[in-house]
Amino acid sequence: MIKLAIYGKGGIGKSTTLSNISAALAEKGLKVMQIGCDPKSDSTLNLYHGTKPMMSILETMRQKGDDFTLDDVTQIGFNGVICVESGGPTPGVGCAGRGIIAALEKLNEKGAYEKFTPDVVLYDCPGDVVCGGFSMPMRQGYADMVYIVTSGENMSIYAAANIATAVANFKNRGYASLGGFILNKRNVPHEDEKVSQLAQDFSAPIVGTINRNELVQLAEDQHMCVLEAYPDSEQAQEYRKLADNILRLSQSGVK
Amino acid sequence: MKQTASFISAYTADTSGVCSALYELGGLVIMHDASGCNSTYHTHDEPRAYYMDSAVYVSALTEMEAVMGGDDRLVNDILVAAKELNPNFIAICGTPIPLISGVDFAALATMCENKCGIPSLGIATNGMHSYLSGVSQAYQALFNRFVCPQTAKVKGAVNILGATPLDFSINSQVEDIRAFLEGQGFKIQSCWSMGSSLEEIAQSAQAEVNLVLSSDSLPLAKLFQKKYGIPYVVGVPYGEKFSQKLAGDLKAAIASGNSSVSYAKNTACKPQGIIIGESVTACSLAQSLAMDLNLNCQVVTPLAASPELLREIDRTCTDEDDLTALLKDAPLVIADGLYEPVVPSSAKFYNLPHEAFSGRMYRDKLPNLINKPLKKEN
Repeated sequence: MIKLAIYGKGGIGKSTTLSNISAALAEKGLKVMQIGCDPKSDSTLNLYHGTKPMMSILETMRQKGDDFTLDDVTQIGFNGVICVESGGPTPGVGCAGRGIIAALEKLNEKGAYEKFTPDVVLYDCPGDVVCGGFSMPMRQGYADMVYIVTSGENMSIYAAANIATAVANFKNRGYASLGGFILNKRNVPHEDEKVSQLAQDFSAPIVGTINRNELVQLAEDQHMCVLEAYPDSEQAQEYRKLADNILRLSQSGVK
Repeated sequence: MKQTASFISAYTADTSGVCSALYELGGLVIMHDASGCNSTYHTHDEPRAYYMDSAVYVSALTEMEAVMGGDDRLVNDILVAAKELNPNFIAICGTPIPLISGVDFAALATMCENKCGIPSLGIATNGMHSYLSGVSQAYQALFNRFVCPQTAKVKGAVNILGATPLDFSINSQVEDIRAFLEGQGFKIQSCWSMGSSLEEIAQSAQAEVNLVLSSDSLPLAKLFQKKYGIPYVVGVPYGEKFSQKLAGDLKAAIASGNSSVSYAKNTACKPQGIIIGESVTACSLAQSLAMDLNLNCQVVTPLAASPELLREIDRTCTDEDDLTALLKDAPLVIADGLYEPVVPSSAKFYNLPHEAFSGRMYRDKLPNLINKPLKKEN
């Protein structure tokens, strides 16, 4: 089983990119599980044509205690991708980081990985590593490799560097290692150079470049990922190529 | 009011359970918590603290460390202490504050071990569960780290699992269990967690059978069965007749390789009383009362209990209001003295002290019923 975590600044396009990666991997015949780890519970929305977020693990736990099954907290999305959302507290109260821990532990305890036997598990993680809970998906037993989505915007690069530094700091804990960066272009000046420099600073590759394209927004307007709405587009091909690269790197264990 | 105990006490937490399970093994046990006082963990609930040393320390977690993260300071402090004490192992255990800030105890243990080479365990207790959970987690960590693979078995050897003072106090019950088993021809391979060293624990896979004295050690017994094919028998040798049955079940388990619960799962008789307590000890007492005195009791456990450890008539009850209602018509109640406020005045009440519930309050009143014929005055 390949287990990967995707991090990046809020709003940089993690969920969109990841949903398309999931769809592309599933298209190759792999069984894919995508787990959203954001309190907004919107990571997998475009995989299951959702107009509102699905029932999250934490919301289910709040309503039913332990009296629920995995079917209550999963949806099967496009290309058979298994969609899960950790959920989180109402904004302004509680602790979102602790929530991620509680949700992922519950998923484990309920035997999700044994029941669904996914070939690939993808964790979609919030904007930055800010407290213990947000590092949960990269802890031992969860993701083996971390990929960071960034554009060439300074704030995005700053966040990406922060995450990459955290991954490096966690090396002596047996956590996931840095797989590389994904450049999600915003067409800002010197974008390629800036992200290349970032990758060089952390001795990690740029595993794929996604060009800015209005098809992404048009697909989202239809509550779909690009691979479903525009499967023959150049944009869909970019996601397929990115998925292939990540799969190849993960299978070969190159870190 | 639901989930509130207005009249009765609460069982000691997993944080005390983990300390109790590791107490005699020569480890450096770190409770990651605020303050510097460790009485909460291993004095008030730990009778051995008065006559036996154990290296249990509190990390003195500060507010700023909880907010900003202070893992490096914690690891450095542990390394300094470990250098001075040269412990057999290091155990880093959790409490409510690290639970909320999401401390990764397994990672902390890895960091310590990488730096000092001493085997280190990360145990994610959190103060939200009973002592049973803490003992259980400690046992599983010990098993995974220290129990050596064995191909050769020692004939008639038995491991005693779940013997902590939290369930058996220090009134010679554990010594009498050892003596009873030896009298039946068994050899004591190890006793978890009273009277055995870490070296003896490490050799426990040489046993032919495990005796499960408390529900906290059932997961450990299952690990032994899964990894080494060692069967287990559940029960405490209370009373004369039940003790004999238990000894027979242990011998049968060695012969067949099958595990069993020694007390009867079914009882057709209407209960004449209620026993409140931990599931294995309480059910064993119920069985011995039935066999020695023809007295049938229902067990009510306020603690987490695996269904396989309870009989058909028994039940779990974690809420004080529900418990009060349950006891309303009971003619006889056997329970720790701190339950007396919710026992109706119409019922006959026998105080059966439980260290995990009342600490040292009634210790001198705790009877030793191991392999003794039960009489009404017991």
